[in-house]
Amino acid sequence: MKLLEYQGKEFLSSLGIIDVPKGMVVQSPEEAQNAVKEIGKKAVLKVQIPTGGRGKAGGIRLVSDPEEAKKVASELLGRDIRGFKVNRLLVEEALEIEREMYIGVTIDPQKGKRVFMFCDSGGMDIEEIVRLYPQKLLRIDKYPSEPFREYEVRSYLRERGFSGELLVKLSKLAYTMFEAFVKSDLLILEINPLCLLRDGRLVAADAKVEVDDNALFRQKRFLEFETSSFEDEMEREAKEVGVSYVGLDGDIGLISSGAGLGMCTVDLMADEGLRPANFLETGGGITAKLLRDSIRLLLKRGNIKAILINLYGGVNSLIEAANGIKEAKESFAKDIPIVVKAIGNQEKEAWEILRSAGVHLVYTFHTERLVDLLKEVLTKRGE
Amino acid sequence: MAILLTRETKAIVQGITGRVGSIQTRWMVEYGTNIVAGVTPGRKGEVVYGVPVFDDVKETVELFGANASVIFAPPFAAKDAVFEAIDAGIKLVVVVPEHIPVADTMEMREMAKNRGAYMLGPTTPGVITPGVGKLGIMPGNMFKPGRIGVISRSGTLSYEVSGYLNEAGFGESTVVGIGADPVTGMDMSEILELFEKDEDTEAVVIVGEIGGTREEEASEFIRKMSKPVIAYIAGRLAPPGKRMGHAGAIIQGESGSFRSKIEKLEGAGVKIAFKLYEVPHILKKLL
Repeated sequence: MKLLEYQGKEFLSSLGIIDVPKGMVVQSPEEAQNAVKEIGKKAVLKVQIPTGGRGKAGGIRLVSDPEEAKKVASELLGRDIRGFKVNRLLVEEALEIEREMYIGVTIDPQKGKRVFMFCDSGGMDIEEIVRLYPQKLLRIDKYPSEPFREYEVRSYLRERGFSGELLVKLSKLAYTMFEAFVKSDLLILEINPLCLLRDGRLVAADAKVEVDDNALFRQKRFLEFETSSFEDEMEREAKEVGVSYVGLDGDIGLISSGAGLGMCTVDLMADEGLRPANFLETGGGITAKLLRDSIRLLLKRGNIKAILINLYGGVNSLIEAANGIKEAKESFAKDIPIVVKAIGNQEKEAWEILRSAGVHLVYTFHTERLVDLLKEVLTKRGE
Repeated sequence: MAILLTRETKAIVQGITGRVGSIQTRWMVEYGTNIVAGVTPGRKGEVVYGVPVFDDVKETVELFGANASVIFAPPFAAKDAVFEAIDAGIKLVVVVPEHIPVADTMEMREMAKNRGAYMLGPTTPGVITPGVGKLGIMPGNMFKPGRIGVISRSGTLSYEVSGYLNEAGFGESTVVGIGADPVTGMDMSEILELFEKDEDTEAVVIVGEIGGTREEEASEFIRKMSKPVIAYIAGRLAPPGKRMGHAGAIIQGESGSFRSKIEKLEGAGVKIAFKLYEVPHILKKLL
């Protein structure tokens, strides 16, 4: 779960080690106006959506007085930015920045290690900076059993010319962030830019926090954020159904029982000039209800010419899947062709059910035959 | 001889009395796998499809000389199960469950490495040596004995590629699912090393996918291999899935794309199948 910026900042504040800009979350132009009045100086309006690149998409705007804030807020609220509807803004004091830095913790999946990173430059171009000048990045890798030592960061910073209060503040921040990363089951904890202000304050101008969804059962403090981190509508509904969903711009609904199989199917479809409308993956634990709800979700998108379903029954029950497809076909998907491949444990029983439901069926494991059948069905319908 | 799962394997099932654990035990036993015992704390004395149940792993090692375990514990209990198995001296642990916190997986991975145990998963279909046995959830009828080793990041695609191999008359020595999570117990290169040493394996097929840098890292070991390696990477034209965001981008740089994987693998002498069904055609030319 990706936290919104203001939620991430709440989390950072709770660590008690770093300041965040003075600000508040608003949901109407009037509230934005009042917020700027209260801040009493120039302010920044930032759309709260769970994705990066907000600045480049026009979602971060500087305003100089409450009237302007009202006007800009009415422009931003309700707008669609990068696929997300804006219904909250963060209004913050404009910072007088002396220097921008980068600090972050993440996971290196290949090594199975946590990685701390610091760079004495920061801001929007951090990836580019690190690509061009890899030596500018301090990187400390730790296995789970290895403790993170504050002095490792301190000695690096000292060699880089940091001293006094800033040296101590930064190394303490590094240590606290790393500890919090571990304790809270995070996947990303990042401050970019980390700003040194003209008045000497060290401030987190942005906050990127991603929590491991699989650990939410023991990280309940984040659950309150879940309902408010407004994802794409279809993705939110998919989560309720219990499948993962990525929206695409084609017109064939695609359901697969695994990410690899789904990608392989998309590749073969593309070779035949067919474009998926989505990428919907069930994972293990298919039930009749899950399949039926997945098909319902797909059709909600509109403009779907046909549905392609590619399943293997290993841990999954193909009989459950077949019953779900049949229910959908008989109740709300009567007119939409459904092309199915279902191979594995109990396949024969599943085929029996699917045949009686009137779906198009392939009886082999070949995904390319499934795609061929889809083409045939579409041609017959004159599509 | 095969790799990981051989005729010497004496396996247990941790979480044998659960819904998934019990039915999968039945299918593993029906396939002919040597399952010597099951473990569910507190349920000693029960029997699941002819397999006796015990309270802990240590008993099964003492009584039967168990040396492999397949785990069906729920996500929150999986770490404890893996630690227990490795502590009891088990050398092959197959972690089937999905949705395990990545922090737990990192701990399991570190422990397995420190103790010289092999760990597959999480989110793996498991490992199958056709004709010998299977530890995991793969449908047995998709596999046939043969001399091609398969390493896959995707369960379903490991079934599909085996289908193509069988159809062309090849069959598989062992099919290994390393697991679909970002962090997994074993790396591709470690499995390649086992296949390289295995007398029963003539060539290896890697079924990879976009994202991560596993295939890129495996290519370093492939340079040193004597056996031919073929790779298929899913996602040639698929939208890149969920990226890890900024911090992930910093440590991974430009790796992870279809192009990056193909370039690295080809550079190491790997033959690329752009479609899965091309795998046996390429094999025929190589062998």
